[in-house]
Amino acid sequence: MVQILQDYWLLFLVGQYPHGPIGGLAMTLFMAAVGLSLSFPFAVALALARLSPYRWLRLPATAIVHVVRGLPLIMFIFWVYFVVPLVIGRPVGGVETLVITLVVYEASYLSEIIRAGILGLPKGQVEAAKALGLGYFPTTFRVVLPQALHNMLPSMVSQFVSTIKETSLGYVISANELTFAAAQVNNQLMTRPFEVYGLLALTYFALCFALTSAARLLERRIASERGGGLSLAAAPA
Amino acid sequence: MIRFENVEKWFGSLHVLAGVSGEVKRGEVTVVLGPSGSGKSTLIRAVTRLEPIQRGRILIGDVDVASREININRLRQRIGFVFQAFNLFPHLTALGNITLGLERLRRIPKAQAKERAIQELARVGLADKANTVPAKLSGGQRQRVAIARALAMDPEIMLFDEPTSALDPEKVGEVLQVMKALAKSGMTMIVVTHEMGFAREVANTVWFMDEGKIAESGAPGLVFGTPENPRLKRFLARDGDH
Repeated sequence: MVQILQDYWLLFLVGQYPHGPIGGLAMTLFMAAVGLSLSFPFAVALALARLSPYRWLRLPATAIVHVVRGLPLIMFIFWVYFVVPLVIGRPVGGVETLVITLVVYEASYLSEIIRAGILGLPKGQVEAAKALGLGYFPTTFRVVLPQALHNMLPSMVSQFVSTIKETSLGYVISANELTFAAAQVNNQLMTRPFEVYGLLALTYFALCFALTSAARLLERRIASERGGGLSLAAAPA
Repeated sequence: MIRFENVEKWFGSLHVLAGVSGEVKRGEVTVVLGPSGSGKSTLIRAVTRLEPIQRGRILIGDVDVASREININRLRQRIGFVFQAFNLFPHLTALGNITLGLERLRRIPKAQAKERAIQELARVGLADKANTVPAKLSGGQRQRVAIARALAMDPEIMLFDEPTSALDPEKVGEVLQVMKALAKSGMTMIVVTHEMGFAREVANTVWFMDEGKIAESGAPGLVFGTPENPRLKRFLARDGDH
């Protein structure tokens, strides 16, 4: 295993770069980060629409979230892989396909996190904003979202962990990421699948476990910093 | 200035406001007393439409609060509201809590808003806490920041919903003091409270609410001196605890 690592660590890390396209762990992180970041504005919009008093906003947003959450990611990957080229009239690479898929898929999951964050705020926060005379947009963007997103940071890190693991499905459409790199190594060595995929598992685990631990730490810090201030429940007599 | 005309409200089958009528004149302080569940908080929340009412009217000047024609946010800017649970924005400093409304609603430039906010903080004795977040303030200080936040909008009316009920006893005085000074300055106020001393000293009128109605009203000397309503008599007899 150590021998394999010594020979192929660069391939695991960055793929064939600089002699070919960048790949490996770097591409895995890149796709997860870009996918999740690009999905963020859509997630906020979906969350707000789902909490809207207007049915014409609430119903379609709710439908989108339920449909996406009710289907496996691999199916979306195939859809994007085969449909997007038809729509835009040119072939689309594996990395682009996966990023587009992740944006659609993660927007739904992230929107549920954001929605929970908004619903978790004390009712008094919106009431105080209303009482000042603030309208919907300043209330949402200056009072509600800053708090909701801050409180939900740990959940968002967890979602990032899920996204990292989900990028491994990019293998089936030849997106040049970590699992793909491991498969390349395995193909070259032919006889050492256990070690190669063991190494792959260890890499994913180290990364995800570190991030999960960071999320837990963050959670404790947020709980303690807000413990002093916010949790006084608003209870009109 | 504020007129309640036969105001009625139900929470489900609960008749929280069962026909409230009364008037608060400009520059006067009305203290609303009553057992919990008597509808007093609901009544003042209805003044800024934090609670919609189902029947009757609430008029501010000659503006009907429930009217769909008015801009409710504009109206709310004329009415300061102080909550029992303070409801400061925990992600903003004391200063930021106050400047938010000034910048977003009054369209006052940042530097000026900041100056104004510090003035308001000084008025409640907290100029040195401008850059402190709510979590680092005591309950009394938080409530004073909340009052400053409301005052910064230059309201014509201030509503207080049990402003000292969530405070430690030794912090009650500092908040009441701010409210007394405000009353003396001629602010029109409705105060829902259990602080009888405050009512006696500051109120022009006391309303005793019971079961969604104003059961007795009048000058504090009258209401406390010669109470007629039996519930009020019992309520006042229990006052020794407060």
